Amino acid sequence: MTLEQITFIILALIGLTSALMLIIQKNPVYSVLLLILHFFALAGFYLLLNAQFIAVLQILVYAGAIMVLFVFVIMLLNLSNEEALKDPFNLRKIIASIFGVVLILQFGVFFFIKAKDDLNVTISPNSIEAGSIKKISEVLFSTYLIPFEVTSFILLVGIIAAIVLAKRKFE
Amino acid sequence: MENNSIQNILESLNYFTPELALMLTFFVLLLVDLFFRKSKYLLPAISLVGFIVSGYLLVYTPDVKGFLFSTGMTNIGLYVIDPFSFFFKILILLAMIYTILFSLSSKEINEAGGNRGEYYVLLSSFALGMFLLTSTIDLLLMYLSFELVSLSSYILAGFTRNVKRSAEASLKYIIFGAVASGAMLYGISILYGLTGTTNLYLINFYLSNQNIESLPLVIAGLLIIGGIGFKISMAPFHFWTPDVYEGAPITITAVLSVASKAAGFALLIRSLKIMFIDYTATNLQSSAWAILSQFKWNELIAGLAVLTMTLGNLAALWQSNLKRMLAYSSIAHAGYMLTGFVILDNQGIMAILIYFFIYLFMNLGAFFVVMLIADKLGSEEMEDYTGLGYKAPFLGVSLTIFLISLTGIPPTAGFVAKLYLFGALIKAKWIWLAVIGVLNSVISLYYYLKVVKNMFLRESEIEYSHNLGHGNLLITLSLLIPTLLFGIYFKPIIEFAEQSVRIFGF
Amino acid sequence: MIPLKYYLILSAAFFSIGIIGVLTRRNAIIIFMCIELMLNAVNLTLVSFSSFFGDSSGQIFVFFVMAVAAAEAAVGLAIIIALFRNKLTINVDEVNIFKW
Repeated sequence: MTLEQITFIILALIGLTSALMLIIQKNPVYSVLLLILHFFALAGFYLLLNAQFIAVLQILVYAGAIMVLFVFVIMLLNLSNEEALKDPFNLRKIIASIFGVVLILQFGVFFFIKAKDDLNVTISPNSIEAGSIKKISEVLFSTYLIPFEVTSFILLVGIIAAIVLAKRKFE
Repeated sequence: MENNSIQNILESLNYFTPELALMLTFFVLLLVDLFFRKSKYLLPAISLVGFIVSGYLLVYTPDVKGFLFSTGMTNIGLYVIDPFSFFFKILILLAMIYTILFSLSSKEINEAGGNRGEYYVLLSSFALGMFLLTSTIDLLLMYLSFELVSLSSYILAGFTRNVKRSAEASLKYIIFGAVASGAMLYGISILYGLTGTTNLYLINFYLSNQNIESLPLVIAGLLIIGGIGFKISMAPFHFWTPDVYEGAPITITAVLSVASKAAGFALLIRSLKIMFIDYTATNLQSSAWAILSQFKWNELIAGLAVLTMTLGNLAALWQSNLKRMLAYSSIAHAGYMLTGFVILDNQGIMAILIYFFIYLFMNLGAFFVVMLIADKLGSEEMEDYTGLGYKAPFLGVSLTIFLISLTGIPPTAGFVAKLYLFGALIKAKWIWLAVIGVLNSVISLYYYLKVVKNMFLRESEIEYSHNLGHGNLLITLSLLIPTLLFGIYFKPIIEFAEQSVRIFGF
Repeated sequence: MIPLKYYLILSAAFFSIGIIGVLTRRNAIIIFMCIELMLNAVNLTLVSFSSFFGDSSGQIFVFFVMAVAAAEAAVGLAIIIALFRNKLTINVDEVNIFKW
């Protein structure tokens, strides 16, 4: 086994366990921490895939900014432990879990059996250049200039939303 | 090459002026709100001017122009202008202008106090997002504008924050919406993986030239249809609709049921038509879903359409709240329009366009009258409307006409809309679908007439007198006259729709 | 070297776990976290395709998804705060989310 494969397996295990623990965890604070762990595992995958810029963004934006927002809200609301998941024979949960397992199996079958040869390709040598900040910024500010501007609107709307909805009182 | 692409982007901005006008409106509103909070009419006036200017620029931009914002061979553009997008943009602007007018006399909005400014700001970003949705040809821009529309509407749905049900509606809306857009995004990522591009035309090119495994394509298609189906409240994804429509301020309910649905349909038609059509086929009818030929797409959509209209109509039968009933009725109307999507040739699309144009007037009219009465009565329950036809004859008669038109009885415009839709179905040999559509219209007659019966055939002792004021009278008339007129003289809409079926590249 | 399909299976698994979470959990904040999980699964798919094609547009897509996710989280959490002030609960069952 090469170093790359070992890293992949470790990261995959971390990612899967943290995701699974997240959805069965009762305390939302632990869930947030697990989600941050999950994001770090994903950042590791991005590095394996030669996407350095996205890996850095993953840590800075997701684990740094978005998750801090979650932690703030949880602290602000001062929630006690959730009562859910105490009744294991809830019909909806069983249906949902069956649905999810079927979904995973379906994807597994689909990727393993259906598309045997096409997906055995390995990473392209161009990927180092494609993932570099230089290349990304070049494409971002020429080809995708308009989407970039639209994103600024989306963020602005997000800010307005936070002010409108969370402000304590109308004056 | 670098210079060239910047040059192209700058040139493209000339064709982008209607959207730029909306962006400008957004910022002007944001700034003016900062300094003139107290003024009641300034902000609506600015947004009206913005929408009208945008409409003016829209009329004076050229008819067809493709490849906007393109940068060389790998990217053949993100945006097109064609008669199809023009039609939907006009529709959206009309709906937005009516919404602003409604908001002026809406009690809910005027009581929102200091936050009224953000309301108009968000309405303009909502309009901007829908404009982008109607003419984007790139999956990335499509996702972003989809989110811009969604985010604006989540906030607008929860706008009257102190009303509890409004916040609940907003939470439901965002959870369903975020899951739907996540699923759609997964579909987009599969499609990107299959073809290596996000441009709809290039995707079509790769799909028709390479031998691609059909299963992932079907999964991607289903996920994308599901995501857009959420926006137009198609059957398995319609759960949010009644709650959100009931909880949101009624002006927002009106605009969600018309404009955002229109944008969703425009996106659905454009993306699927461009991606999955086979240009080499000679027969238009058979080329429509050609790339996905292993899978019977039109039968799936037909099934969903039947499910949507039947569920909407049956659930509407039991409602006692008028706003909720109109929500279910709007689900049913989405079902009728989906039947036109089954055919996906020019006839079917034309029928959808005609339907939408008429639906705009009758649905907005119904919501406006309900809003006027509800503001006065403080209730949307049908029981409280008993005997209202005699206390407020003008409103009673107008509501009756709008509801009759929604059912599709001549001589109202709703009849013409249904006639063209079911006519197109019969022409394309989907007779069973047309029969189910007609049966559903008969069911809908029952609950629409229940309101009318309550208003006119029952006595009541409630005190009610309504002084409409000139403004509201004019707005009602401006919706009422088209609803009646287009039932008799419908040639202009047909011609407008006929011109507007042209999608860029066809 | 790791073939593409392992990345795809992994991201499909993450996506499914996210969906299960959305369907089973009743706490609105955790539901939002599960939505973030779904979006990240999509990001992994996009980045792996992008690297295997040697084409940056997939990574650009991820960049935009991140921005949208940030805005969506901000709006969602603001709505949760507004609701909590009104109702003192964020359990979606008490919001009757699946009411007909």
